[in-house]
Amino acid sequence: MGEIIISKNILEEEKDVYVKTGIVAPEYNFWVGLVMDKFYDGLENKKFIGSKCSKCGKVFLPPRKTCGDCFAKAAEEFVELPETGIVKNFTVANYNVNERKARKLKEPIIVGLVQIDGADTAMITQVINIIPDEIKEGMRVKVVWADKIKGNPKDIKGFEPIGGE
Amino acid sequence: MEKVGIVGYYQVKPDLDAMMSPPDMIFTAVRGALDSAGLKRKDLTTVIGCTNDYYDGKTISNAYKVDAGGAYMKDESKVEFDGAHAALYGVFRILSGNHKLAMIYGYSMPSCFPYETVRILELDPTFDRTISLLNSYTAGGMQMRAYMKKFNVSIEDIAKVAVNSIKNTVKNPSALPEAQLSNISVGDVLESEILSSPLRKLMYPLLCDGTAAIILAPEKQSLKITDNPVWITGVGSCQDTYYLGERDLSISTSMEIAANKAYKIAGINDPKKEIDVAEIFGHTIGEDLILAEAAGLCEQGNGTSLLDGGPALNPSGGTMSGLTPCACGLTRIIEAVKQLQGEAPGIQISGAKKAIATGQVGFCAQNNIIYVLEGGGN
Repeated sequence: MGEIIISKNILEEEKDVYVKTGIVAPEYNFWVGLVMDKFYDGLENKKFIGSKCSKCGKVFLPPRKTCGDCFAKAAEEFVELPETGIVKNFTVANYNVNERKARKLKEPIIVGLVQIDGADTAMITQVINIIPDEIKEGMRVKVVWADKIKGNPKDIKGFEPIGGE
Repeated sequence: MEKVGIVGYYQVKPDLDAMMSPPDMIFTAVRGALDSAGLKRKDLTTVIGCTNDYYDGKTISNAYKVDAGGAYMKDESKVEFDGAHAALYGVFRILSGNHKLAMIYGYSMPSCFPYETVRILELDPTFDRTISLLNSYTAGGMQMRAYMKKFNVSIEDIAKVAVNSIKNTVKNPSALPEAQLSNISVGDVLESEILSSPLRKLMYPLLCDGTAAIILAPEKQSLKITDNPVWITGVGSCQDTYYLGERDLSISTSMEIAANKAYKIAGINDPKKEIDVAEIFGHTIGEDLILAEAAGLCEQGNGTSLLDGGPALNPSGGTMSGLTPCACGLTRIIEAVKQLQGEAPGIQISGAKKAIATGQVGFCAQNNIIYVLEGGGN
């Protein structure tokens, strides 16, 4: 793993500097857990499954096992939520950053926090089929599912406007 | 709380690509801090480092920095948040009565790892990380938008704060040279590249290599070491939930709670009047304002008023003077210490007696820590 490269003339006095490069790439398996598993299963059927705090009734989407505020179980009751919601917040992103690299996008994308009707929390998603100048907080949106459903968060292609506010 | 003294400090000059190895940097900072206080390594009873395994590309990243950090055969530990959290660990050790002298250092070299990419590894792997939409830029953009919308703050106002920080950076001899952009105007900031709207490049700090170190001692010991210690008279920290969709990004409740704890301990009743200098660790200019307001330096949503009066906001330039992950909170503490000792040439706030310095970790400052610092020897 890794290689020795010689970087050229980094110093003013043109001294070569040896740099060890190495990619840390062990493969991890992250256990989704019993609660997020319900969410994943829901996505497989093109449905949003949230969870409800047993004490305050707050509805989490994506679902959570625990309500941090009440320190109570938030996954005793699961609720099916609709495909519609509102844009709570958004940003027009000019960079894509993934686990390998950060690169400038040719076309910017809209990253938003969308709160599904009936949920008390918002989730990170893309807002699509709209030009950046037209997006506003509070805009009503509807999910667009990915062409191929695999039962993971990538099944949510994004949310598109449905008109009205 | 019994007072804890800051009796020495050292900053390795920040550099975009330092020609030093990690142990070189840490040794320089730790040796420099000891020399600044006229102390020797044998005087140290504990060493707390702040490093990050992912930033260093190895696990137990403090393991091979033990000798450089002065910790050989001593009580030693590591904090993987911000250097300001490592200092809290040191404060606890001093207040326990078991330690007479604590060395605290924070270090990283972003020239050696892709910072933005590595931050992705902070994300929840079951959702946020899978979809690769959340990162430092998009989080900073959404946070800034939430703040601007809630309090009706214009992008020009945010740009004015950026200009103020950059101008301070120019005057700060400890700043990253590449961050010292002379003659920057509001227009320049607004026209700089949009990273993720409304966040501009000149509202986002330059990441740089660096190391900062401070030395802590109990009150009596501090007075034996120096006649000009700076006292930690209060500290508070608070952790928010990770999920941005469950937080109000326009404010910082965790900073508010942390600040109220710290002020109560320090006996500060009105931070607007009693605090002279505020060194705030914001990851963007928008976050500087949110955190300064949450720390009670001005009314909520009114952070830009700090340019006209009240506590001096980031006279060092804050993170716009260069951001070294893991060292940044300690750098804020050191900049505040210099102000209170009257040793901040070029950026000195005259008559500064009380200051705050903050640290943080996590997206949109999930976890905040704040120190109340007071000068004046006894």
